[in-house]
Parts: sequence; C-alpha cells; structure tokens
Amino acid sequence: MIRPPPAPARVVAHIIVYGVSAFMIAPFIWMLLTALKTDREAINSQLFSLPSWQWENFPRAWESANLARYYWNSTVVALVTTVFGVLHNSLAGFAFAKLRFPGRRVLFWTALATMMLPAQASFVFAYLIVSALGFGDTLQALYVPFLASGFGIFYMRQAISAVPDSLIEAGRIDGMSDFEVFWNVVVPSMWAPIGALAIFTFVFSWNNFFWPLIVSDSDATVTLPLAVSHLASGRYVSSWPVMMAALTIVTMPLVVVYLIFQRAFVRGVAMSGIKE
Amino acid sequence: MTLGSRTGYLFVAFPLAAITLFTLAPTVVGILASLFDWNGIGLPRFVGPANFIALFDPSSDPLFWRSVANTIAFALITTPIATLAGFLLALPASADWFVGRTFVRTCLFLPTIISIVAVGVLWRWLLSDEIGPVPHVLRAIGLRPPNFLQDGLWPMASIMAVQVWRSVGFAFVLYLAALSGADRSLTEAAAVDGATGWRSVWHVSRPQVRPTTAFLLITGVIGSLQVFDIVMAMTAQAVSSTTIVLNYSIYDEFRQSRLGYASAIGVVIFALSAAITAAQARLLRERSA
Repeated sequence: MIRPPPAPARVVAHIIVYGVSAFMIAPFIWMLLTALKTDREAINSQLFSLPSWQWENFPRAWESANLARYYWNSTVVALVTTVFGVLHNSLAGFAFAKLRFPGRRVLFWTALATMMLPAQASFVFAYLIVSALGFGDTLQALYVPFLASGFGIFYMRQAISAVPDSLIEAGRIDGMSDFEVFWNVVVPSMWAPIGALAIFTFVFSWNNFFWPLIVSDSDATVTLPLAVSHLASGRYVSSWPVMMAALTIVTMPLVVVYLIFQRAFVRGVAMSGIKE
Repeated sequence: MTLGSRTGYLFVAFPLAAITLFTLAPTVVGILASLFDWNGIGLPRFVGPANFIALFDPSSDPLFWRSVANTIAFALITTPIATLAGFLLALPASADWFVGRTFVRTCLFLPTIISIVAVGVLWRWLLSDEIGPVPHVLRAIGLRPPNFLQDGLWPMASIMAVQVWRSVGFAFVLYLAALSGADRSLTEAAAVDGATGWRSVWHVSRPQVRPTTAFLLITGVIGSLQVFDIVMAMTAQAVSSTTIVLNYSIYDEFRQSRLGYASAIGVVIFALSAAITAAQARLLRERSA
C-alpha cells in the first residue's frame, strides 16, 4: 500500500481543487444573480449585494430578443442533426465493421481522412454548394452538411467492431436482413456509444457558431449562439440584467441535461480522447 | 459474409455522399481556388501564387502576419497551460483519499459544454472597465487594473485567459480517467524504492499518462489554430489588430467576396496545423524514446 500524503498536504490539495472548481462555476452563478437584478443594481456600487429578484427579466429577455424563434431554430437543427447524424454514422459504421463489400477499405479511409480537414479550408465552397442546392438561408442549410461525419463513422465503426461476429451470424441464420441485424442485434448492445455520440453531436450542433454565421441571413434561420452574438455586439448593451437573463435562457437547457446525464455527457464530450 | 455486399453500399452511400459533397470536395476545390482570383459571380481568373505573394507581403496585407502571430501565440500559450493545470488538478482528485471527486468533476467540466459565444459575452461583461465585477474588485483592494478589453495587449491576454478557464476541465476529465486507470503497482513499487511526492509524480504518473498528454497537446493546438468564436464574442465582433486571428481574416475576406484570397488563408491554416502536428508528434516520440 502507498502511504497517503500527510494530512496538511491533503487539506491543501482539497482547498486548491475546490477553489478552482468554485472559480469555474462562479461566473454562471453571477450570471444567474445578475439576471434577477434591476439595471441599477447591476452596474453601481450594489454590484455585490443580493438581487431584488426581478423574475420578469426572463420574459422581457424572451420577448425583446425574439428568443422563441431562435430557440425553435436551434432545437430543430440540433435534433435533426443528432437523430439522423447518429443513424447515418451508425449504419455506415456497421457496414464498415461487419459487412464485406469491394472497396470498403478505400471508402473507410476516405471517410477517416476527412476528420483531419479543417473547416476553414472547406467552408467557402461548402457554402456555395449548399446555396447551389437551393438551401440558402433555410434550416436545411444548417443541418444537411452535418448529417454524416468522418469522426462519427470512425467512432461507431470502432464501437461496433466489438460486437461478436457470432451474434451477427446468428441473426442471419434466423433470416434477418442486414438492416434487421443492425436494428435488432447491433443497436441494443450499442446504447452507450450511441448515447455518447448523440450527446457529442447535440452539443456541437447547439453551440455551433461559425457555420450559421456563414449561412444564416434572416430570422428564419438564426440560431441561439448567433442571436447572442448579435445581441451583445452593440457598443452598449441597454440592460445587462436582461442580457444575462437571455444568456441564462440560452445556456440552461444544456446545463440541466448535463446535470442529469452527467456520466454520459462527460463521456460524450470527452470521447474523442478515448484511447484506441 | 458475402451476403452483405449490396446492403454495405446502401448503408455507406448517403453518409459518404454527404461527406464528399460538404467536406471533401469543398476542401479540394478550396485548395485549388487559392490559385485563382474570384469574387463568386464572374469567371475565376488563374493568378498562380499571386494570392500567397500578396498575403506574405506586409506592404499589401499588413494584418496577415499579425493574425499569424496572434493565432500561434494563442495556440502555444493556452494549450500547454490548460493541459498542465488539468494534470495538476487531476493528480490529487484521482487519489483514493480525495473527497467529492464527482462534484469537482461536475464543476470543472461545466464551462466546456457551454457555448463559447455565451461564455465570451459573459466574460466580456465580467471584465468590462466601468461596470464589470472583476475590475471593481481589483480597485477595491487598491489596484489600478488596466482596461482588460481595450488596453494594449490586454484584450488578447484576456481572451487567452478565458480560453484556459474553459478548457482546463476537458484536460482534467481525460487525466482523471487516465490516472484512475493507471497501474497502481508502479506507484507502490516506486514508493518502496523511496520515490514519493513530486518525484513519484514526475517519474511514475507523468509517463503513465503520456498518451493523454500527447492527445491533449496535439488536438488542443489544432483546435486553437481555428480559434474564432471566443474572439468574436469577447470583442463584440469588433476585431482589431491586436485580436485578429487567421480564422477571422478568412471570414472577413469571405464577406468581401474575395474567395481566392480567403481560400489561400485556409491553405495556410491547413499547412500550419499539419506542420505543428508533425513537429509535436516528433517531439513527443523523441522524448518517450
């Protein structure tokens, strides 16, 4: 057994780690408290006093910033991207892991290679292609390019490789089609990686800023990160509490989901670091 | 398993078509487009390396080298600091005697999942000169803080600090997993040989998490060469010469419909990522040898 470090060292270590943790959540608590203040309370010497609980800042932010519209846009884009992105990547991952067809190695390496390509080198022409397809300034333009990804295919292929071939064969002998094998045999044993990929995809889509900035041109397509950026880009923000209420509304769904599905979440967001 | 041959194509057809159409083809065309002058409407005109020559010539594009320097500084300063901090925090947090590991992980990881834009706007307010709580506190304890969002190099320093703040948790979580899975018997054997405390950390723990370190440094640097969101949010989209980064330059050229020129900057980022990755991979390999 290793002897644990002496008690004073352990106390100091706890203080440091907890101190840094407090520093991580303090800005969000500050945001929440400020969202409940009056404009005066937020900017003068009462900076550090408790708010007077102005709950109406939330409906004010919701209406004045037109958040309902952007919430809808963000939700549609993130859900479609997640559901279909995970389905497509899983199907392709299954095919690359368990089905034999000529050219599959070349095709897999092609998908893999796109993981390394920075978006900066492609977005100009991706935008022109999206426009040429008639998606310009529609919600389709925001999700169609993300309905499959090299990373997602790679991740699902690695996960599905672990399913024993004998299970797949057994399904075939039972007369299942390949899709039925995928749906009834592979998917039920893959919920952990599917969940991780789903969370990863959802967070990416919900927070994506660059692509909507390129594509979105009207209220019909503006998503929440873009709306926040517009809201805050004025030289002066008219009301910081309302601004903070808007930020709270924008960030809260993800925080709540994170607190509920913490383990899957950490796994999902950190999964790019899982060792092969 | 010859049965699957036709359905195999069926399952990969749409995903591969989407990747080809929206990633592969645009990248290839983008690299070629860096050799053309094109405004997106008329016919592209072949200009050879002219875009790159103009880019590299400070008298024709005075901002390019600033944006290269800012981007590289951002990547090479924030990534190692966040990685090291994550490791140092994970060391005690992964120990058996640490109380409240899950709670600490929840807190540290929180900034990672929140939109960078929201985080940037929040910090811009926390740091703002007249009304921000941070300068307020600093004044209260008798300091004279600079205007973090405007004075000299402070805007870039503030952006880097926020980047470190939001990415420590990611490194922490990966190190926590790596250290928890590390082979305890090695630490025990080292303790028997008299290596404890920092010597044990340096000679036993650090080598054990090398793959995690390599991963964090390489992906961190590549990711931060593409920095954009946080700069836009913390400058309120008013990017200046002290805060300009390569990705903003591309965006700016794109907005002005100088598509060939924008593509040339894209090629530069691509080349930079590849060069830094190769250099890092080599460095890490040499050290482990």
